[in-house]
Amino acid sequence: MKPPEIDWQKLNALIESHKTEQWGLIPLLQEIQKAFGFIPPESVEPIAEALGLFPAQVQGVITFYAGFSMVPRGKYVLRVCCGTACHVKGGRSILRLVQQDLKLKEGETSPDYKFSLESAACLGACALAPTMMVNRDYFGKLSPPKVASILNYFGKEGREEG
Amino acid sequence: MEVITLTINGKTISCDPGVSVLDAAAKNGFSIPTLCHHPDLKPFGACRVCLVEDEKTGRLMAACVTPVAQNMAVRTHTPRILTHRRNIAALMLAAHPESCIVCDKGNRCRLRRVAAELGVGEIRLDPMPSDQTPDQLNPFIYRDLSKCILCGKCIRADHELVVTGAIDYSMRGIKAYPATLQDKPLEQSGCTFCGTCVALCPTGALTTRSTYVGVPEREVDTVCGFCGVGCRLRLGAADSQVVEANPAMDGKSVNGATLCIRGHFGHDFLNSVKRLTRPMLRQNGTMTPVTWDEALQETARRLLMLKEQYGPQSIAFLGSSKCTNEENYLFQKIARSLLKTNNIDNGGYALGRGLLSCIEKRTDGSGRFHFFAGSLAGLEKCDAILVIGADPTHSMPVAGYYLKRGAVKGIPLIVVDPRRTELAKYSALWLPVQPGADTDLVNAVAALILARKSHDASFVERFTAGFREYAASLRALDFEQIKKSTGLEKTALEKAATLLSHKKIAFVLGDGILKQRSGLEAVEALLNLAMLTGSIAHKGAGFYIPAKENNLVGAWDMGSVPTTLPGRRAVTDPEARGEWEKIWQTALPTEPGLDLVQIIQAAEAGRLKGIFIMGENPLRSLPQPERVKAAFAKLELLVTQDILFTETVEAAHIVLPGAAFSEKEGAFINMEGRLQQLAAVVPPPGQAKADLEILLALARYLEDGNGPASLAQVRAEIGQVLPLYSPSARSRHLVWIQKKEGREAAIPFSPVKSAAPDQVETGRPYMAVLGSRRHQLGSGTRTGLSARIAAFSTQGGIAVAAADALKWGVADGQMIRLTSANGIMNGRVRIDAKVRPGFIFVPHGEDSNQARCLLGLTALMDSASPGWNTCPVSIEKIEGGLP
Ligand code: SF4
Ligand code: SF4
Ligand code: SF4
Ligand code: FES
Ligand code: FES
Repeated sequence: MKPPEIDWQKLNALIESHKTEQWGLIPLLQEIQKAFGFIPPESVEPIAEALGLFPAQVQGVITFYAGFSMVPRGKYVLRVCCGTACHVKGGRSILRLVQQDLKLKEGETSPDYKFSLESAACLGACALAPTMMVNRDYFGKLSPPKVASILNYFGKEGREEG
Repeated sequence: MEVITLTINGKTISCDPGVSVLDAAAKNGFSIPTLCHHPDLKPFGACRVCLVEDEKTGRLMAACVTPVAQNMAVRTHTPRILTHRRNIAALMLAAHPESCIVCDKGNRCRLRRVAAELGVGEIRLDPMPSDQTPDQLNPFIYRDLSKCILCGKCIRADHELVVTGAIDYSMRGIKAYPATLQDKPLEQSGCTFCGTCVALCPTGALTTRSTYVGVPEREVDTVCGFCGVGCRLRLGAADSQVVEANPAMDGKSVNGATLCIRGHFGHDFLNSVKRLTRPMLRQNGTMTPVTWDEALQETARRLLMLKEQYGPQSIAFLGSSKCTNEENYLFQKIARSLLKTNNIDNGGYALGRGLLSCIEKRTDGSGRFHFFAGSLAGLEKCDAILVIGADPTHSMPVAGYYLKRGAVKGIPLIVVDPRRTELAKYSALWLPVQPGADTDLVNAVAALILARKSHDASFVERFTAGFREYAASLRALDFEQIKKSTGLEKTALEKAATLLSHKKIAFVLGDGILKQRSGLEAVEALLNLAMLTGSIAHKGAGFYIPAKENNLVGAWDMGSVPTTLPGRRAVTDPEARGEWEKIWQTALPTEPGLDLVQIIQAAEAGRLKGIFIMGENPLRSLPQPERVKAAFAKLELLVTQDILFTETVEAAHIVLPGAAFSEKEGAFINMEGRLQQLAAVVPPPGQAKADLEILLALARYLEDGNGPASLAQVRAEIGQVLPLYSPSARSRHLVWIQKKEGREAAIPFSPVKSAAPDQVETGRPYMAVLGSRRHQLGSGTRTGLSARIAAFSTQGGIAVAAADALKWGVADGQMIRLTSANGIMNGRVRIDAKVRPGFIFVPHGEDSNQARCLLGLTALMDSASPGWNTCPVSIEKIEGGLP
């Protein structure tokens, strides 16, 4: 699988729709992130130009928020919690497990653009510690078998697709 | 207004609301350490070393971002605060690399100073240096972000002061750092190498790259020797060399904390091996060093001989827009009073003088100063700005910062230029006009403003004459024809008219007008527009003098021009002549002399026998160098007084080594009309002498027995007629000489003319547009000798549109040859999205200023002249010329 092609027409339409908006940058970035799975670095300058900002400023905002990424990410973004509660309940081991299973380090994306692995400071579901998220779905009270079945579930689906 | 009363360290003080605790404390003698605060930057509150304590609540607050409040009580130096400050400083040092001892910031590092003042010595924390690798590929700035304390000063300077946007924070928390786009090295970012961030960085994270290691022995404030903005510089010297330049930051300068690439990094040319150090005489064809006595005696003898043999009109003088007021004054005095000729001009021939003479003609000398805006600060206060044929972000960068700041503040900015200049990015409207069609464009906009009745009718009524004819000719304009000549749709012109409706306009003109074919007509049209909109004598409105040379204004004012005496009064005016005749005790020539181009033409024709050139390099700056060279070869005498071994010096018979701006005293006048004093930071190299000294000695050899003998006496002599030019003049902005008494006559509109735009020719299908790049000034005589600028080759080249490059089959960096009707130049292609297909942007100054070879040596500001700004060319690919 190749990294996703950028549909410039779609991107330009998104930029155009936020051009005259005040404080339009973050909503625009959110939409691009959603539509493309990442914010193509080539789009930074057109975005800046349209919104009357410096490109470096736009980059500053993108890199500030964990929710934005400038590299294409996998179809499934796994965020394993390493916050205090999860740490106490073995979050590190969960992370290591996922790393081994997917052969990915933190911040990496699998060559087939299926999985990206990240760690998070706290996912806000400490009662369920240890936790992780796959895209927008929470998985709590993780244990090695549970992790294996989750990965299997997303992995399987992927295999069927591919 | 409400007054705030508070106590600081028990002392009751009162101040205006909105003032920060930091400023209130400073004003009352309590000094609080700061790292991220700078008076020219918006408060930021990043470093927290300025913590103070609220007496009532015990709350700690950052003084720089806390405004004073009624009945507030703060303490600035309690033990608790000091502990906090020390911890902060210690943490910063812990994150610092250990190369501190060899850091180039040395004892100027603010972090080190603050830490020392707080008594923070050895750090007990584990060192935690960052892993940033230095950015050091460019020749100007060394960027070692492992020393960055994240104060944000560089970013704020870059955004707020110079408005470039090359850097901003990237990432956050412990990973945060000031980054360029995609972390490219600075030279591949939008950075202009203005160095402002370097001057403000409190640590060694940003330092100047230099062959001189360490901190200069002494620092002296003076004025930049390059362009007419006249930035205040703080020159660092070691031994007898200038080793560093920084903004002077004395609070009153035109530049504040900013500078440009030339001012900050280009002054290393002062130490070039090409500096002249000995007087020389051409003997039997070779240059031989001689004593000063011999050189001056010979100069005087031969000048007098020519005068005797061929008459005074056989001699001409070229004064300099780079030399001081006093030097230009004495120079023209020698020409006029001792050799009896008005054949005197200076290198500022084209730049702005055309504008001035148009204004003079229209106002009959009186009231002319109303047309000029004066202080650059007006660009941040005016109603609207029209930049036409100029790119000050390159030609006069610090003036460019004013424009960009004004635009960011919301002042409508219109940029008229065939090229999408850097400034266009900040503009409300960019009008890509066909070169040479500016007259039509300006008239069309005036017609549209008039049609909407959004002009200043009461101004027109009270102060002008000839409005009816002018209005009628505007109404008669044919917009179809205008569309054809300007290449612009009426809707675009309508937009301009809307932006300028009911506005007083600030005009910034450049080479695109003043060196352009039909520049004269364009200036007339602009003056009409200024009068129509009442853009005269109103905050920030009016014309800004495009002074590309540091003392362009002073050289005119002091009379280094063929038509006017010091004080800009006509040589043909008997009253003005009489005043100087009384002081100089001699009769003066009554006919205007030859201008720069006429001087070359007269030499070519053999009518002129001798030229004395001070601080100009016509062989590098004028079009058709072969012609100029041949003309010089015909002369019986060519004297050059210069600081560098230039192309022109090479052709001279007598060479007099002068002093650079940093080696002498005197005054410059900047583009605002500000009179600024120089300081002699270092002595001239070798036997070289301050130019005024040379001229004083020469005057003695020319048998001027009772002339002035020192700088002070020269100044006193100038002051007898022109008191405003004495260093003690009270006004810092001297406003265009004396105002004539009495009610001013109405200013006439001039009739609307149309001018044919430039066209490409068969066989020469591309239009070359010449222009400035910020790292070279003018012909590049001086900036070209800066080692750092020479090492910065990535930015040069001939800019072309990608589509054209594709058509010729040339890649970025490949060599091409341009051929015009006048000459040939070779250069590297640089593909540039800002250039439109069919146009080619050729920068001045690079590669021995080859660009000039494309032009023809014709008179400027003359209706018949094709100008020095554009010319049709053909393109050839040079095979094997790949990078
Ligand atoms: S590089 Fe210098 S000025 Fe910029 S944030 Fe770091 S310490 Fe401050
Ligand atoms: S040198 Fe000037 S343009 Fe470059 S980053 Fe620093 S402030 Fe910005
Ligand atoms: S803008 Fe002009 S005066 Fe200022 S530093 Fe640059 S060259 Fe010197
Ligand atoms: S610490 Fe993991 S969800 Fe809060
Ligand atoms: S100087 Fe006040 S927070 Fe840095």
